[in-house]
Amino acid sequence: MTATVPPATRAAAGQPDLRRSALSLRRRTTNRVAMAAITLALVVAATPLFLVTWTVISRGLDVLSWQFLTEDIPNSYRRSGGGMAPAIVGTLVITGMAALLAIPLGVFGAIYLNEYGKRKPLARVIRTMADVMTGVPSIVMGLFIYVSFVVVVGAKTAFAGALALACLMLPIVIRSSEEMLRLVPGELREASLALGARQWRTILTVVLPAALSGIASGALLAIARAAGETAPIIATVGLTFSVNTGLFEGQNTALPAQIFRNASQPFAAAQGRAWGAALTLVAIVLIFTMLARVVVSRFAIKER
Amino acid sequence: MNRKLLSRLLLVGVALAMLAGCGGGNGGTSGNNNQSGGSDLSNLSGELKASGASFPDAYYQEVVSAFKEKAPNANVTYNAVGSGTGKKEFGQGLTDFAGSDSLVKDSDGVAAGSFLYVPTVAAPITVSYNLSGVDKLQLSADTVAKIFQTDIKKWNDPAIAADNPGVTLPDKDITVAHRSDGSGTTNNFTRFLKAAAPSSWKLGSGDTVAWPSGTQGGEKNTGVAQIIQQSDGGIGYVDLSDATESKLAFASIKNKDGQFVQPTLEAAAAALEGAEFADDLTYNPLNAAGAASYPITSPTYLLIKSRYDDPTKATLVKAFVRYVLTDGQALAKEVNFAALPSSLQQKALAQLDKVQS
Amino acid sequence: MTTQTTQEPEQPALTGGGGGVRAERLFSRWTLATGLLVLAILALILITTTNEAWPVLRAGGFRFITERTWDPNPQTGDAVFGALSFMYGTAVSSLIALLIAVPISVGIALFLTELAPRRLGAPAVTIIDLLASVPSVVFGLWGVLVVAPALVHVYRWLNDVLGGIPLLGDVFGVPVGTGRSFMTAGVILAIMITPIITSISREVLSTVPQANKDAAYAVGATHWEMITGAVFPHSFAGLIGAVMLGLGRAMGETIAVALVIGGATAITPNIFAGGNTMAAIIVQQFGESTGLFTAALIGLGVVLFAMTIVVNLAARVVVNRAELRMRGAAG
Repeated sequence: MTATVPPATRAAAGQPDLRRSALSLRRRTTNRVAMAAITLALVVAATPLFLVTWTVISRGLDVLSWQFLTEDIPNSYRRSGGGMAPAIVGTLVITGMAALLAIPLGVFGAIYLNEYGKRKPLARVIRTMADVMTGVPSIVMGLFIYVSFVVVVGAKTAFAGALALACLMLPIVIRSSEEMLRLVPGELREASLALGARQWRTILTVVLPAALSGIASGALLAIARAAGETAPIIATVGLTFSVNTGLFEGQNTALPAQIFRNASQPFAAAQGRAWGAALTLVAIVLIFTMLARVVVSRFAIKER
Repeated sequence: MNRKLLSRLLLVGVALAMLAGCGGGNGGTSGNNNQSGGSDLSNLSGELKASGASFPDAYYQEVVSAFKEKAPNANVTYNAVGSGTGKKEFGQGLTDFAGSDSLVKDSDGVAAGSFLYVPTVAAPITVSYNLSGVDKLQLSADTVAKIFQTDIKKWNDPAIAADNPGVTLPDKDITVAHRSDGSGTTNNFTRFLKAAAPSSWKLGSGDTVAWPSGTQGGEKNTGVAQIIQQSDGGIGYVDLSDATESKLAFASIKNKDGQFVQPTLEAAAAALEGAEFADDLTYNPLNAAGAASYPITSPTYLLIKSRYDDPTKATLVKAFVRYVLTDGQALAKEVNFAALPSSLQQKALAQLDKVQS
Repeated sequence: MTTQTTQEPEQPALTGGGGGVRAERLFSRWTLATGLLVLAILALILITTTNEAWPVLRAGGFRFITERTWDPNPQTGDAVFGALSFMYGTAVSSLIALLIAVPISVGIALFLTELAPRRLGAPAVTIIDLLASVPSVVFGLWGVLVVAPALVHVYRWLNDVLGGIPLLGDVFGVPVGTGRSFMTAGVILAIMITPIITSISREVLSTVPQANKDAAYAVGATHWEMITGAVFPHSFAGLIGAVMLGLGRAMGETIAVALVIGGATAITPNIFAGGNTMAAIIVQQFGESTGLFTAALIGLGVVLFAMTIVVNLAARVVVNRAELRMRGAAG
């Protein structure tokens, strides 16, 4: 019969002492320090998030008002007052058009990758290149659209900006939609096929609806990312001081471009407008991000 | 309606319009400084797109707003994208007129002979600085050159002290601010240094210059002003209007006659008085002679086409530029720009007569 | 026995009703086309930008990359376009960003996979997601108006302390008055690349088989020793891939860097001095460039595009191979 022998006496008898205190001080300290450092890492990463949010909110709220949201941009940086309405409208128009272009194309591309291509070599190449495309610098995308569209058409327009943003959104939508399609259980597809539906019918009527919430969430996140892009807007969309809702006529502007312009101004009025625009932009991005989470949590397929 | 009658009416209408557009430019050469366009302005309508130099932007935006009140149906926009882009867009036909501080080169994309220079205002380029405890600073051209080349690195350098007898200079590092984008202001500033400090200044002149390491670049005059504003020990070149609005301190610069002169509008006007004007109305007030002249006075021009295909556009351009040269001159002082001397103003108005349509 | 009438039981019609063959072909071809769109766009980017930049690339040849001077509008003589200063700036700011971000990101990933009590896991992920969703221009605005002026004091102190030491003094040199420098750009970049490195690292770290971890514990390792002994060796390749993805993102970041790096075209070892990166100079000078100058800027874009493609491609290949290996090991 073996009784539970306390570690100290076991150690004395030549067997391993399993108490933590038996470890050398160096090893224990290293462990403690490492664990603390790991926890600290999270704090270090959270700090700039809180700092930037705090600054944007506090400085932006100073400027935010109904007037700010509805008035035109003053044509002189040093003038106080005025608002960012043209930029808000521009952001919504350009990002909206980009979403209209990128989301359908992206979803269909994802359908190809997950339903038809699967592990075929071409599909693997497309998958890798889509990942690579998410890393293309946004300025390069802006240059691309400038060279192939703006110069050809001869004018900077909101549509050119929408094209550039759509190119940026496309790979994100493809990859996230593909992940969502992959989550749809195979049994659903098989059941539909067994009932005699062809693959396209299955995809459109069974798979897509099942994955819809996830796809919608991914699309909303892509929109949020596109709304914050600056460099392509600067290269392709130009500048305007008054609201322009036309996609194809005249130059336009967007919130990120206005923030960028006002960030290098020495005048308090201009800097204030920059913070206000930043708060508005962050609010728009946050709304889309929150919506994405709500869509997923409320409408996702419940796992069995 | 009878086709023949319609076409005859059209022909007469076009002929009348052409006559009105082209014949109306026999502008008055009265000596009145404030010759105004009067009530003709309220009948004007149309759109004018313009872009160019950021140096005179504050002035042009004031004029645009004032013009809008006089001619509510006319819409003029000026976009301060820099002299280089302004000239490029003007050459491509994207704009109706352009603003530029620097003269047109072959590589700017504007065909020689297709445009006219119209001087509009002038203003000092200040050497602004941010040094706590030092309110007054005097700099000779050689010292300025050495500072901007980073040969002089600290504020208490003997060369600066020599220019400022009796002033205690702190032991701080100098942060030089310049333009990161191509700029007519850089062009004029470096041309001044080349002319006034030829033995010290080694970086040449141009819209962009190879600034040494350890300096900071800002976009447009306002970007440079922001850098100076943010650095304790900063120094840079900024137009008077933006420097005043940003509450920067200016250094007095030694002019050709050996006097240290502050960048005021009067000193700028004195520099203009002494400058030579070429036939095409370009002029060089940099390093001008005269005891009261501020040596870094920059000209700025509007470029207008010598021929506009659309007669209504020609009318609108001429009306706007005439406004800039007449009623608009009164606005210059409010935003720290120097109006043209009357002799130059007359010559500039005469340029408008050369515009065909 | 009842004889069946000759009524056949209802057989399901197995053709038609589920959509035609032609529709199937059309649909599959359409989805293939949209998939190919990705490749088409990438190819088009390369072709159109190289085409525009060709005059400068051909005239400069290899010197485009090795030349230090960038003088687009000389008063006399030909323009000189050299990308070296900008490549240097891109490299230095990215390197600083990685040095700061990698320990933090891997730390967070370790926290999430090893340490996190269930309750803290979700908020931590939320923090990282929120960090990723802040637009880069907002980071740039905050950086240039708040962070840079605040960091100048830190730089001055570091320069005072380390300035005398021979080599270190060159690196921690005299700071510019605004604080806009390689170092500040590196700090802002680090904040921005942390989310992507964290999320990929987390994926990689979570595939370490529990058996390996248990084995380490069984031979008496502390938690940290288990991590260094079982987790890191197993996931090393994947972590490298994550770091390379972060590098790719840092190299391509445009706006935040343009605002905080100082706009100076110079090669200097002093990390507290201003500099410029390829992406930033394009944004700064594009609006007013003409002709050959525009071609040169687009040429910079081509070089940047090529570099980021190479880094991202290599990173994805590394991560994919590592994941395959790990899935194989676990399975």
